[in-house]
Amino acid sequence: MKFVIPAVFVAALVAAPFLPTYYQGLAIYACILAIFATSANISLGQLGLISFGHAAFFGLGAYAAGLLNFYTGMNYWLAVPLAILPGVALGALVGLASLRLSGAYFAIATLVTSEILRLVALNWVSFTRGPMGVVVHRPREKWLEALTGRDFGDLYLMLCILVLALVLFVVSRVNRSLIGRAWVALRDQPKLAESVGIWPLRYKVIAIAMSGGIAALAGGLFVPRVLVLSPDLFSGTLSATALLAAILGGRGAVMGPVLGGIVFAVAPELLRVVDEYRLAIFALLLLVVVRVRPDGLISLLPRRKTVHVRPPSALVEITPRQLPATLSIEHLSRHFGGLKAVEDVSFEVRRGEILGLIGPNGAGKTTCLSLISAFLSPNSGVVRLGQLTLSTLSSHQAAQQGVVRTFQHTTVCMDLSVYENVLIGTHLLLPETTAAAVLRLPAYQQRECKRQALAWAAICFVGLEERANELAGSLAYGEQRMLSIAVALATRPGFLLLDEPAAGLNHTEALVLARLLTSLREKGFTIAIVDHNLRMMMKLCDRIVVLHHGRMLAEGDPVTVRNTPAVIEAYLGTSDEPEKQGATDA
Amino acid sequence: MELLLQQIANGLSLGMAYALVALGLTLVFGVLHVVNFAHGEFYMLGALVTVLVVKSLGLPYIVALLVAIVLVSAVAWVMDIVAVSPVARKPGGDQIVLVSTYAAGLIIVETVLAAIGPTPIAVSGFSGIVHFGSVVLTMHRVFMFAAGIVMICGLYMLFARTNFGRSLRAVAQSDYAAKVVGIDVERIKTLTFVLAGGIAGLAGGLIAPIITFNATMGLHAGIHAFVVVVIGSMGSIPGAVVCGLSLGMIESVLSIFLGQHVAATLIYSLLLVTLFVRPQGLFQGALR
Repeated sequence: MKFVIPAVFVAALVAAPFLPTYYQGLAIYACILAIFATSANISLGQLGLISFGHAAFFGLGAYAAGLLNFYTGMNYWLAVPLAILPGVALGALVGLASLRLSGAYFAIATLVTSEILRLVALNWVSFTRGPMGVVVHRPREKWLEALTGRDFGDLYLMLCILVLALVLFVVSRVNRSLIGRAWVALRDQPKLAESVGIWPLRYKVIAIAMSGGIAALAGGLFVPRVLVLSPDLFSGTLSATALLAAILGGRGAVMGPVLGGIVFAVAPELLRVVDEYRLAIFALLLLVVVRVRPDGLISLLPRRKTVHVRPPSALVEITPRQLPATLSIEHLSRHFGGLKAVEDVSFEVRRGEILGLIGPNGAGKTTCLSLISAFLSPNSGVVRLGQLTLSTLSSHQAAQQGVVRTFQHTTVCMDLSVYENVLIGTHLLLPETTAAAVLRLPAYQQRECKRQALAWAAICFVGLEERANELAGSLAYGEQRMLSIAVALATRPGFLLLDEPAAGLNHTEALVLARLLTSLREKGFTIAIVDHNLRMMMKLCDRIVVLHHGRMLAEGDPVTVRNTPAVIEAYLGTSDEPEKQGATDA
Repeated sequence: MELLLQQIANGLSLGMAYALVALGLTLVFGVLHVVNFAHGEFYMLGALVTVLVVKSLGLPYIVALLVAIVLVSAVAWVMDIVAVSPVARKPGGDQIVLVSTYAAGLIIVETVLAAIGPTPIAVSGFSGIVHFGSVVLTMHRVFMFAAGIVMICGLYMLFARTNFGRSLRAVAQSDYAAKVVGIDVERIKTLTFVLAGGIAGLAGGLIAPIITFNATMGLHAGIHAFVVVVIGSMGSIPGAVVCGLSLGMIESVLSIFLGQHVAATLIYSLLLVTLFVRPQGLFQGALR
């Protein structure tokens, strides 16, 4: 299976010069649409953002290359790589915007961007010649034609096939790198992504800049086929084609958009026999495919077997990062409207201890955890880690500093395997660049090996090594809870904040969890834990902080806390005030 | 000043057509939680049916309008059965619906193009003119505005007073909760889709005498409706109405000073700025 796709490309390259001219033209168009759809699929498939305006990048690339050639006389084929730059720049801007806009709003913003560019191209007559368009001469390279004995059409098609192969190579490598993992995490579980230190801005900008660059490249390649720059290069129909080709082919696989692009190029031509009804029939076929195969045409092909990972040869131990001795919470308050969820709370988490945070429902425990991990910003008060003020950072920065949280509701990427989930957690271990992910030099592979070893160590530590290749969604509930701890451990947290890890676990599972946490403490991890399982908390914790109605009620070792009258009152109420408000669950 | 007032008045009737098309789109988004790519084609079909009934059958315009509403509703019903409800139920369906409705829309446009051709066809609506002070309006524009108002009031009553309206609002808020209290969610969704189609058909029938029918008019209207719906917050009915009317007026007024394209560029840029400042649109809050 591994060699099938390269073999197909080599075969296409060899066959290309022998095609009749008409089919060459069609194949060129198919390649360009495949590249364009691949670009659209980066934002659609990897980030889950629907772009209705991908023609903005396509047209920008086409106009940039064409106008450079027209005004400066630059060799057209040198202008095409340069034309990628405006696509990347616009993509980076759209990426910035995608932080604020999602769903339909992102779609409309992209649609409008391409409309504006179309109107500019239409009306800036002195520069673009408006609706008349700029005529670009066929960029023939006579010396190359003489050298190879092939005509322009042969070489043009071969170039398109090569560029498509290159684009797919780059995209699939990036998808399978740390960057691709960050995209999937941001798409499926944005909060989990931030909790392991993924910076949303950086990865969205990379994704859409890359997508924009590839679309611009497709646009530049398209010009020699039409030989005229017209505002239609920005048209909504073209944007729709890219988007629909990606969905029709299949969003989940790298080859999906390629298949979709080919179908969009070829099908309307094949239907020429039915003449004026051909587009209607094409649309009908599109509808049928989507109804029968919602995962796209690619799902008709035999599935590639999932890669079974084996334990790496060099096993490592999971160890905490060395951080300042204490995480101190000083006079922290957070209000939601009139509700004082957390009010003037101060305590410390000391290195090497397990600190328990208990209190009746609604006491502000989870809010407290969110404030410490910078998922929420306090109304007043600060969280300090040594000299550093955590509460002014954003959540992914807190994770970078080694303060990592888990979530009350199971938060893992259900469609990824256990191993892939934990790999997401290793995001911060070593820095990575897009270029390194594409080139995969030995240094990169060493770094990737280190990440894999750490991920394995985390999986083994929570006892999921038997299930490493299974989808997270197929695990039992208790195993999913363990998985989310493994993801957090893979970040090598200095301070690990656990939000109700025992919630919903049965007695045996809770005992396993308690043993796990004790051995983490022995390894030098510092843990702050929120939970309702008081029996487990009393045994496990070195110190306990009790919250009630957002305020500190008590702090101390478990025995002292258990005997504090105020705590007993909060949990059980008092005999002479039975109607007093206070949660009674324990 | 007179020109300005005149353009505002003209813009209001044009804006009413935008508002009606956008209303259906926002209704479908609010209740079915999907974007209907083919919505503009309902509008085109409404105009087509009106034109054909008047020209070929020789029936009066008002009858043609009613026929348009009924026929377009029927088309919407078929489209829901074929391309929307079975697709939207599947996982990831909201994205797949984009393709299936786009395909359905393409089938409609291409069939009309193949059968009727791309030439525009004109039809006359109500004749006569009405004076409001210095402003002169054709009878048809006045009728169009009035019909739009009646439609909107009727919808308001439908949502506020009837059982169907209450069920619809329940489904808009939560499919699941609506199911729990025994509402037939699938039926409500289908009816909503048909209703949205009917409204768009009416809008198309109303606009036909003003802008002359052509087979590609749905595409342009669809994009406009989308802009209106997003600025007015997806799923918000007052948002769609207010923004639709405003867009019509702004376009008409800008056309005094600027070319059509420059005006459109300006409107789109305004839209982008609006999105950045208020990413949720101006009229936050779904169908409540």
